Amino acid sequence: MKATTWSQYLTLVRQGLRAEFVDKERLISPVLFSLTMLVLFAFALGDLDQSLRIRVYLAETFLTALFALQMSFSRLFEPDRQDRVFELLRTYPISYTSLFLAKYSLVLILGSATLIPTMLFGAFLHQSANQQLFSWVVLGIGLLALAGLGALGVLLSALTLKAQARQIIYPLLYFPMTTPVLLAAVQSARLCLDVGLGSPELKSWLGLLAAFDIIYITLGVLLFTELMDES
Amino acid sequence: MISNLSFKFRHRRLFNDLSLTAGPGDLWHISGPNGVGKSTFLSVVAGLLNPSSGEITLNLASKQILDRRAHLEYLPAEANGLYLKMDSVQNLRFWSQLRGLKLDDSAIFAALEPWGLNHPLLRDGFPIEKYSTGMKRRLALARLDLSPVPGWLLDEPLYGLDQQAITVFRERLRQHLSRGGFALLISHDLEPFRDLITGAKEISSRGSA
Repeated sequence: MKATTWSQYLTLVRQGLRAEFVDKERLISPVLFSLTMLVLFAFALGDLDQSLRIRVYLAETFLTALFALQMSFSRLFEPDRQDRVFELLRTYPISYTSLFLAKYSLVLILGSATLIPTMLFGAFLHQSANQQLFSWVVLGIGLLALAGLGALGVLLSALTLKAQARQIIYPLLYFPMTTPVLLAAVQSARLCLDVGLGSPELKSWLGLLAAFDIIYITLGVLLFTELMDES
Repeated sequence: MISNLSFKFRHRRLFNDLSLTAGPGDLWHISGPNGVGKSTFLSVVAGLLNPSSGEITLNLASKQILDRRAHLEYLPAEANGLYLKMDSVQNLRFWSQLRGLKLDDSAIFAALEPWGLNHPLLRDGFPIEKYSTGMKRRLALARLDLSPVPGWLLDEPLYGLDQQAITVFRERLRQHLSRGGFALLISHDLEPFRDLITGAKEISSRGSA
């Protein structure tokens, strides 16, 4: 009897979610971190001019979300490192594509659980009577950024799995590579809130964001198998 | 079949030209002094490391198997490959599902039974991290026993086991071999396996086998 790639994928996702839920600290700490950061920003900046509100909201929300997500991503393989589970996984007949996709799905689920409250809370802190900051389109842009950052997160977590200097290597690689995705996300979100959906520039930035997502997801699928064989 | 297998770590040759053929019912004992590369040899066979030279082929029912991982179970030394925050049922279900087995609770309880782990207080919602060393090893052996593969790669399987568990393991291994399975074994305690062993291979400190 042989498991299909799909059934292995489902098994790995279920196990990943279970591993997150049994260790609630892993699940809660990125969200608490980002909510605390937002409160600190709001206190430090005080009351803002109408023109600055959108920019500050986007800057602090995306920045906070980036750090919170980086915390989640860098600990992605932590449950598998215990008791040499990861080594045993490599001796099982699993498709590495299903392992990548399972980890990627996990990142999207957990990342959304951090990103959505961060964006909602950030909007709540900065909104005024005549300016509603929360927008479904901006949330969609955030999720689009998460799709690219997540693929990169899984790839780099796997890349640094065996590295002794994991905690140094991960941010050194992660932050420069996320810059284009974040720039595209922040610019498109700003245009969306400042100018509106009709802005001609918005399409270019969204196109760039989508292009980076496709590149990182494709690279992830292609390189993950190589990384697993090397680790 | 293992032919002329060699492995170098950096510039150090751990084993050289190691060959052996394991057939149905065979139990090979791999011996040698500490640090000579016995565990590395099993890691290579399990597919965790690539050999420097030589090859490992697996033929089942006269057909050559391309991905031998589907037919081998590996038990590392001093680790059990268990999710420590989860309970025994979740662990066994996870590993068997990866092999395509769909087991209901009763099948998993039956697998835990011979190892003395089929008690609701030890089984349901009781994290493995609270198990003793021997209990973790028993659970790892239950995983092995549950798997339908013919090849077992056993690196110090008796680690942490008490006399009762050693007797159970010896019996499960005997049944596995009598069903046509084979096993490669590293163990410093040979007494329980003496009458099951069909072949022995010594890895010497000079790197040759």
